[in-house]
Amino acid sequence: MIRAVMVMNTQGKPRLSKFYDFMPTEKQQDLIRRVFGVLCSRAENLSNFIEVNSIFGPVLLEEIGDEAETLIVGTAHYLLQDTRLVYKHYATLYFVFVFDNSENELAMLDLIQVFVETLDKCFKNVCELDIVFNFNKMHTVLDEIILGGQVLETSSTEVMKAVEEITKLEKASNSINLVPKSMSGWQGR
Amino acid sequence: MALSGMRGLSVFISDVRNCQNKEVERVRVDKELGNIRTRFKNEKGLTPYEKKKYVWKMLYIYMLGYDVDFGHMEAVSLISAPKYPEKQVGYIVTSCLLNENHDFLRLVINAVRNDIIGRNETFQCLGLTMIAISYSETFRLESMPTSSFTEKKVGNIGGREFSESLAPDVQKLLISSSCRPLVRKKAALCLLRLYRKNPDVVNVDGWSDRMTQLLDERDMGVLTAVMSLLVALVSNNYDAYWSCLPKCVKILERLARNQDIPQEYTYYGIPSPWLQVKTMRALQYFPTIEDPNTRRSLFEVLQRILMGTDVVKNVNKNNASHAVLFEALALVMHLDAEKEMMSQCVALLGKFIAVREPNIRYLGLENMTRMLMVTDVHDIIKRHQAQIITSLKDPDISIRRRALDLLYGMCDVTNAKDIVEELLQYLSTADFAMREELALKAAILAEKFAPDLSWYVDVILQLIDKAGDFVSDDIWFRVVQFVTNNEDLQPYAAVKAREYLDKPALHETMVKVSAYILGEYSHLLTRRPGCSPKEIFSIVHEKLPTVSSTTVPILLSTYAKILMHTQPPDQELQDHIWAIFNKYESCIDVEIQQRASALIKKAEDTEVDTAEQSAIKSRAALQQSSNALVVTDQPPSNGSLPVGQLSLVKMPSISSNADANSADQGLTEANGALSRVDPQPPTPSPDLLGDLLGPLAIEAPPNAALPSEQSSISGLEYDPNSVDALALAPLDDLTNSVQPIGNIAERFHALCLKDSGVLYEDPYIQIGVKAEWRMHHGRLVLFLGNKSTSPLLSVQALILPPSHLKIELSLVPDTIPPRAQVQIPLEVVNLRPSRDVSVLDFSYKFGSTMVNAKLRLPAVLSKFLQPISVSSEEFFPQWRSLSGPPLKLQEVIRGVKPLSLLEMSNLFNSYRLMVSPGLDPNPNNLVASTTFYSESTQAMLCLIRVETDPSDRTQLRMTVASGDPTLTLELKEFIKEQLVNIPMAVPALSSIPQQPQSTFPVGLTDPGAMLSGLL
Repeated sequence: MIRAVMVMNTQGKPRLSKFYDFMPTEKQQDLIRRVFGVLCSRAENLSNFIEVNSIFGPVLLEEIGDEAETLIVGTAHYLLQDTRLVYKHYATLYFVFVFDNSENELAMLDLIQVFVETLDKCFKNVCELDIVFNFNKMHTVLDEIILGGQVLETSSTEVMKAVEEITKLEKASNSINLVPKSMSGWQGR
Repeated sequence: MALSGMRGLSVFISDVRNCQNKEVERVRVDKELGNIRTRFKNEKGLTPYEKKKYVWKMLYIYMLGYDVDFGHMEAVSLISAPKYPEKQVGYIVTSCLLNENHDFLRLVINAVRNDIIGRNETFQCLGLTMIAISYSETFRLESMPTSSFTEKKVGNIGGREFSESLAPDVQKLLISSSCRPLVRKKAALCLLRLYRKNPDVVNVDGWSDRMTQLLDERDMGVLTAVMSLLVALVSNNYDAYWSCLPKCVKILERLARNQDIPQEYTYYGIPSPWLQVKTMRALQYFPTIEDPNTRRSLFEVLQRILMGTDVVKNVNKNNASHAVLFEALALVMHLDAEKEMMSQCVALLGKFIAVREPNIRYLGLENMTRMLMVTDVHDIIKRHQAQIITSLKDPDISIRRRALDLLYGMCDVTNAKDIVEELLQYLSTADFAMREELALKAAILAEKFAPDLSWYVDVILQLIDKAGDFVSDDIWFRVVQFVTNNEDLQPYAAVKAREYLDKPALHETMVKVSAYILGEYSHLLTRRPGCSPKEIFSIVHEKLPTVSSTTVPILLSTYAKILMHTQPPDQELQDHIWAIFNKYESCIDVEIQQRASALIKKAEDTEVDTAEQSAIKSRAALQQSSNALVVTDQPPSNGSLPVGQLSLVKMPSISSNADANSADQGLTEANGALSRVDPQPPTPSPDLLGDLLGPLAIEAPPNAALPSEQSSISGLEYDPNSVDALALAPLDDLTNSVQPIGNIAERFHALCLKDSGVLYEDPYIQIGVKAEWRMHHGRLVLFLGNKSTSPLLSVQALILPPSHLKIELSLVPDTIPPRAQVQIPLEVVNLRPSRDVSVLDFSYKFGSTMVNAKLRLPAVLSKFLQPISVSSEEFFPQWRSLSGPPLKLQEVIRGVKPLSLLEMSNLFNSYRLMVSPGLDPNPNNLVASTTFYSESTQAMLCLIRVETDPSDRTQLRMTVASGDPTLTLELKEFIKEQLVNIPMAVPALSSIPQQPQSTFPVGLTDPGAMLSGLL
């Protein structure tokens, strides 16, 4: 299962965060900070994996509680879930997926690529600013790729179809307020 | 650049971006929150568009890390909005913000449900997404230990009932032929989520066929989601889904061999790597593949994947093709392929760990480590040792860690020297983050595989020298123990210690260990140049100004020992050392002061009475065999001597928790009384240094409550046996220091009622159990999970089965690598009725700590029962035909846990005794029936009748009947055990009170039963 998706810029500002496990706000922020702390110290041309058990810790049954025990013990993968993290660095952004060992690391890396390629199609050459001002769209795209921590769709063509459909629906019942021209002044920031 | 379509939102975002610092940002955010709050108060004036805009702002603020503790109602209310955009934002925000406000979830259940059963597919999608996401939240909250009772209740309403009421609708969407793929794939994952929460939502009988059909799906998106669902289902119960196995192989063939897939699902030329990976994951949950044709087809595909994958230039293509490849490797390992294919895999991995692409190097190393665990390819992996060692110098720390893990795992007697020396070399350049682990691993390997002890001493001293900060006290205590216990090693260790002291800038730990060793054994070197007592003393003394106050007492003791070992006595040296002691007697540090004064006292005594010394020597020998001698053999007139002796030992521990006065008071009493003063057994804290110091603590026998002191005076006294015994004493104490987490007895009782859960847990290991029962057969799997970052060694599991069970335990590996999990299957056959319990004697070593636990296995009588409902027409003739003892037994049981009739029915049902309500005309009675399975009895019907007394719930009359006398007796006793109230204060005795009754002789002859009685 995918436990979290984070997008942050190279200064550590979160641009999107989605946790598929319950996590209090402060803890989420803390994790983002700590992940960034590790990421920013890594050179280019290294592997896309980092050890994060020290950050996230393995999910042990005690933490999840009794209710979950019966469901979880059954599978080796869930008894002691190693937390794994893959990331990809694009221009000014880090894309980070955190998941347990029931997922294949490289497949997760591929999924990051699908996510980014879809955003690219969405925004015609995506940059950080697109993401800042359209974080709602990011949510829409992500929700078409991952659902409740599971891979929903892997074809960016299909994801685009779904996203475009949603966009159409949004527009149909909502007249867009035009953006003032003065916007361009601070777009470049 | 596209914009959000909401001007107010864009303006707000750019305002926040314009903030120069966090302070300004907070002000801006607070202002906005205030604004939103005011607008929400006057909700009537808000258009849906405005609501949507504000809710997005809230989400943005939330993402920035601010608390948004209002407006949730508004967000939730948007879900019921008729138009898509509002509804959509309602859903998205609800699922993000509701983390902590799950109460609201109840409010939306109906709205969500309406969307799901409605006709609008886009609304259906929103609803499904919402359930899948927020589901995890309720799920977590229910079990959060901190949540209050009421919260738990709410969570439960949102949980079980939610899933039960929604699951049929979700299932309908998944199998509906009229639904679009977009909806169906979401329904599949939604169902997966509901299933994780409550497996009952998927009826196994019906779904195994459904799943088989669903695997024929042509839409790749739906198929991928269905495959995830299948993984979840088979991970819980593969047995019901055998029919899916050939389908999975077909899908793999279709993808990997025929490349039969729509263009949009090939990713960099690879046919949907995700689907291939998931399919191979699903296959790994089946224990084996029986059908030879299916197996052959699968191996053909796997072979194709293994051999047909090359490292290419395009990074994305590489990642994708290797995602498939590594999954194929995992599947090959799981299927226990022939040795030839395994060696092929290792060769492949050997290639990978040398490629340029870092991801592949990383995974290559990781998979080699995995391979060590599952198969016998050790020797082939060893061929790559040189390359793995090179990986220790990889620029990527993630890869270096993998290499370290692998080297650690592959180390054995043949390559220990090479590997440990590599690790030592690497230590000086290794990242700080890794040094501690590295040092520990090197120390463990050196101890485990040392070809000779002098090499071990070398390694540990080098470790301390290179990474003293990362060498825990345990490690240097160990080396001291080894030296103390091996006479041959002592001169060598002394030489080494002497050499290290010549080096400049020594780590303090090195000073400690060298000083200690030289104090004890430098007299063995006196003939060597530079090793006269004087020279040894001065080189140790040189270090004194550089060390911290915890090390000073060690040095002082070393001086004393040097002095004692000096034959003939050297007056000049003695004066010098005395002067030092005198100086430190007034030291500000209490510990040092006491050590110094103790040493002075002792030295005085030694001088005053040398004749006494030899007498003491012989007495010391006696003392070691019996502590009683200490009291009787030392008249108070001899007072001064024992005081001096005692103080040396006792100071270190007393000084930390009592003042010197009280210690002195204690010392004037008889020795026997003193033993009670000693507040704690030696523990491996810095204080232990004091205890380790003299031969004193080390040489006393372990059962002597009072550490023998005399031997330190005599100094020359040396008894290797007693040394051996006490040197290990602190370790024995460690055994008790590993405390199980949770109550073992409670865990056992819980497992008697359910088939999976945790059997045992402590800080290092978690043992889970999953069991399946079928007639008189049972299959248990023990999941041994190492929670720590170090391996668990000397792992042993013995089953002590009672005579009525045949238990076959598969091989238990000696070592569980860090954070790894091992599965141990157990086959159980029930031979005949008995309520005795088998015991698992489990032990392992963590570092130097030996942990042992005796655990009752939940293979209890009730597991071999199958509830059966019996009509009154069937019941009464049976009941009457079993007319009396020994087939029908009756007993009045007192001291029963007071239970209402309903609670008692539940209890019976939970032990698979099916209660038939209304069968007995008397409403205070209860009748139950079940089938018992064992090899001797085969299937046998059992009938139970309980007559309760409504005026006294603590007593009842129970009648049990079956066609087998032993079964009747055992079942009656078993039920009685469950009914009798066991006081919580003595849970350990839970099964003892019942033991001495009818089956007493059995209990005695049966080791398993005896043990389980003790547990």
